[in-house]
Amino acid sequence: MTTRKKYFLTALGGALFGIVLVLAALYTSNVTSTNESCGACHVHPEAETSWKQSKHFMNQSGVQTDCAACHLPPAGTPHYYWAKVKIGLHDIWMYLTHDKEDFDFESKRTEEYAPSIVFNSSCKKCHANLFPEGITDDGVAAHLYYEENEEKLGLQCVSCHLDAGHFIAGYKHEKMTTAPIDTTGPVYTEPASVTSFSNFTETIPGTRASINMIAVPGGKFTMGSKKGDKFSRPDEYPAHEVTVSPFFMAEVEVTWNQYWAFYVETMSEGRTKPEVIYANNSRPDVDAVSGPTPPFGMPDQGWGMGNRPAITMTHYAAETFCQWLSLKTGRHYRLPTEAEWEYAARGGTDTPYFFEGKPSSYSSEGLWNSIFGTDTTTINRYAIYALNSKNRTQEPSRVAANPFGLRNMLGNVMEYCQDWYAEDAYEKAGANTIDPKGPATGTDYVVRGGCYHDDASELRCAARRHSDYEAWLKTDPQNPKSIWWLSDMKGIGFRVVCDATINP
Amino acid sequence: MKEEGMSRRRFLTGAAAVGAAAVAAPAILASCSGKEKLTPLKKEGEYYVPELPDKAIDGPELKVGLIGCGGRGSGAIINLLDAADNIKVVALGDVFEDRLNDVRNRLINERGQEVPQENCFIGFDAYKQVIDAGVDMVILTTPPVFRPEMFKYATEKGVHSFLEKPICVDAKGYRSVMATAKQAQAKGLSVVVGTQRHHERRYVEANKQIQAGLIGEITGGNVYWNQGMLWYRQREAGWTDMEWNIRDWVNWKWLSGDHIIEQHVHNIDVFLWMSGLKPVCATAFGSRQRRVTGDQYDFFSTDFTMENGIHMHSMCRQIDGCSSKVSEFIQGTKGSWDSETNEIKDLDGNVIWKFDEEAVRKEFQQFDPYTLEHVDWVNHIRKGTAHEEATDNAISCMAGIMGREAAYTGQTVTWDEMTQSPQDFLPEKLELGPLDLASMTVPVPGN
Repeated sequence: MTTRKKYFLTALGGALFGIVLVLAALYTSNVTSTNESCGACHVHPEAETSWKQSKHFMNQSGVQTDCAACHLPPAGTPHYYWAKVKIGLHDIWMYLTHDKEDFDFESKRTEEYAPSIVFNSSCKKCHANLFPEGITDDGVAAHLYYEENEEKLGLQCVSCHLDAGHFIAGYKHEKMTTAPIDTTGPVYTEPASVTSFSNFTETIPGTRASINMIAVPGGKFTMGSKKGDKFSRPDEYPAHEVTVSPFFMAEVEVTWNQYWAFYVETMSEGRTKPEVIYANNSRPDVDAVSGPTPPFGMPDQGWGMGNRPAITMTHYAAETFCQWLSLKTGRHYRLPTEAEWEYAARGGTDTPYFFEGKPSSYSSEGLWNSIFGTDTTTINRYAIYALNSKNRTQEPSRVAANPFGLRNMLGNVMEYCQDWYAEDAYEKAGANTIDPKGPATGTDYVVRGGCYHDDASELRCAARRHSDYEAWLKTDPQNPKSIWWLSDMKGIGFRVVCDATINP
Repeated sequence: MKEEGMSRRRFLTGAAAVGAAAVAAPAILASCSGKEKLTPLKKEGEYYVPELPDKAIDGPELKVGLIGCGGRGSGAIINLLDAADNIKVVALGDVFEDRLNDVRNRLINERGQEVPQENCFIGFDAYKQVIDAGVDMVILTTPPVFRPEMFKYATEKGVHSFLEKPICVDAKGYRSVMATAKQAQAKGLSVVVGTQRHHERRYVEANKQIQAGLIGEITGGNVYWNQGMLWYRQREAGWTDMEWNIRDWVNWKWLSGDHIIEQHVHNIDVFLWMSGLKPVCATAFGSRQRRVTGDQYDFFSTDFTMENGIHMHSMCRQIDGCSSKVSEFIQGTKGSWDSETNEIKDLDGNVIWKFDEEAVRKEFQQFDPYTLEHVDWVNHIRKGTAHEEATDNAISCMAGIMGREAAYTGQTVTWDEMTQSPQDFLPEKLELGPLDLASMTVPVPGN
């Protein structure tokens, strides 16, 4: 054989091999993108049944949209192959190392998680026209808002169309029409009579709602963290002495039952400016409060109402609730100051949590804990957080109280304080202040206590955070945005306190 | 683009630069006078330049319907017939029979076209009947509050629309037009809006110079429509509230949107067109001093903040015995353009470009922009090259709405707030009957 012949045969052989390889790869790519192939690892039946009830299967045209159409980038792009490799390896690993029972399907279909497994570019590839014939005015308004703010606010299609691919019972994209108010038990006619500084149950006249109030004795404590405390942040420094006068604090975060009692008495539709409503509500001569507008969809996210904390609350909603409660009972209810909150949360302890244990052993952050897991025995009794919440709020009865008798101070939902947030608030606080009220002005409010999807490190008694209205209302297309309901923050509620004045 | 190069030469007078420089493009002119090269705002091909022949190309017969047989409607249908041959007017619609008959008779007398009586529709639903009468294209020239619904219906039926300006007067109308415009694009329809400056030769040529960078980056502008009192109709015996309102429509805000939109949108639109910017907020004054009928203002003065932070000021007035001015002025980093003089001046006040009408008249006979906009519309339809102007015009109308609301309320009004507002001027019940006239009062800003 001549050299030239050898050369050509080798080249030909190589080319044929290459073609076979490419065809094999394409074949593999195709067969591993079918619904059957996805189902080999994704054995949980909810995925298929909810898909078959969704608009992507059950629709007028009878067209079905397969797994890979949404859960992979648009086919044929480099992103598509890269994502296939990455997701494929992840899924095989999970399949081999986890049990089917470990898998919490519900928690995957939340607004927080879903965007990480649905590719927006794939949504938009099929849904190229966001203004199809027959679209309603509300739809046009929402899609114009989306187009103008998609990049600025990081909006995705599933931010609003969470049930597009998998049916979610009760997920509605419309105004709530009737409040799911509790109708069991008697209607109270009188507020509680409080004759001594001890725990009492407030009974809200004209409603079936009551609130257990805990008498929190006054005292002195060290507020904040010391430099070097694990997970502490600069806004927690310096640790400083604070004295707090006695007050009453609700045993649990304001519940849906309590909030709906307020809502049905005060619900008002309209676009009166918040300052105007607040000023009217504050007048000494008024005997009624203007309350929330109806929310879009069910604000409990389908997790359940009852005694679970009322969530997606704005600070304004929390304050108006207090105004209403004060008017109904003749006692002065309000949000806690930040100092009162931390004092109450600590319950007389000076450790990172009011219970035993260190943040470094409870936190999932850090390589060691993320691989080998964390200790959960003690924290599990006292707090609802990332590792035991199933990504939603839980009933207060799930946890034990702190030494003062307060539940869910840490975890479940973050709670508003009345203070404005300032990163340097502690630097400006004097030594041994009495009943401090925080900065005189600000743009965001202090929120405390961490929530159901937080890591244990966010649940420390000293950890400080603040409201963030732009992010918390990013998918609300109304302008002005709702002053009552947060569209994009579910882990926030509030707890009321009451001045320690006693009936004569 | 040989033709464009040619035409540019023609318009270049450049008083200072004679000889070789005079026949070169402005870019070269600038470099000859020792200045840096021009940076285009948009390159050729990145912005729309209408072809403006004197007459539309020939093609198969197009059937047209006219909805809204008032002054503008009768003008527009004649403009269309001037613009193109082989156009047949097949249906007419209006709420008033007398207005419809005026147009029908005019078409018979002036153009020898008789619209069959069975295709003459009277009433608030006449638009559906006209659009369903087998038309290819439709001219919508009713009072503007009705435009969004009619545009939507025409687009659903795959009919090309000519939309007289303004095309929306409230927030809901704006959203409706924005959505319909997308649907028109999807269907490949041609939609032209009656902001005829887009088809006026002097504006089109000035825009080319501005986009080429002759005035530099745009830093602000002033736009004006100050004129005498507009017409009005006193109520006549036997008229219902609705009939009076519609016959006197330019004085009622729910029908016209007030003159800051109804008339002045032309000028606001020029700045938005050439700058490519949307307003983010508006602060305005306005008041009513002289009007006889209706609930509108006589003047508005509005400061617009645009999305990149520059300002545009707009003023409009309809009062007799005051100075008149209808024009646009745009300031840039290297110079300014004024549509009053059709000149571009550098920062020292030297005229560096002027629209040379005499030279253009040697090439073109048709200068009437009201005819040329129909030439462009028919050409797009006959060539099958879809074209859609409603999106841009809806944004200009929204700017006007922001200015109006800012003046009416005394508050600064934002784009985000206004585009999402529930504001909807269209009455639920459309019939020639009573209206709640007592609620139609002249707005008073502040407390």
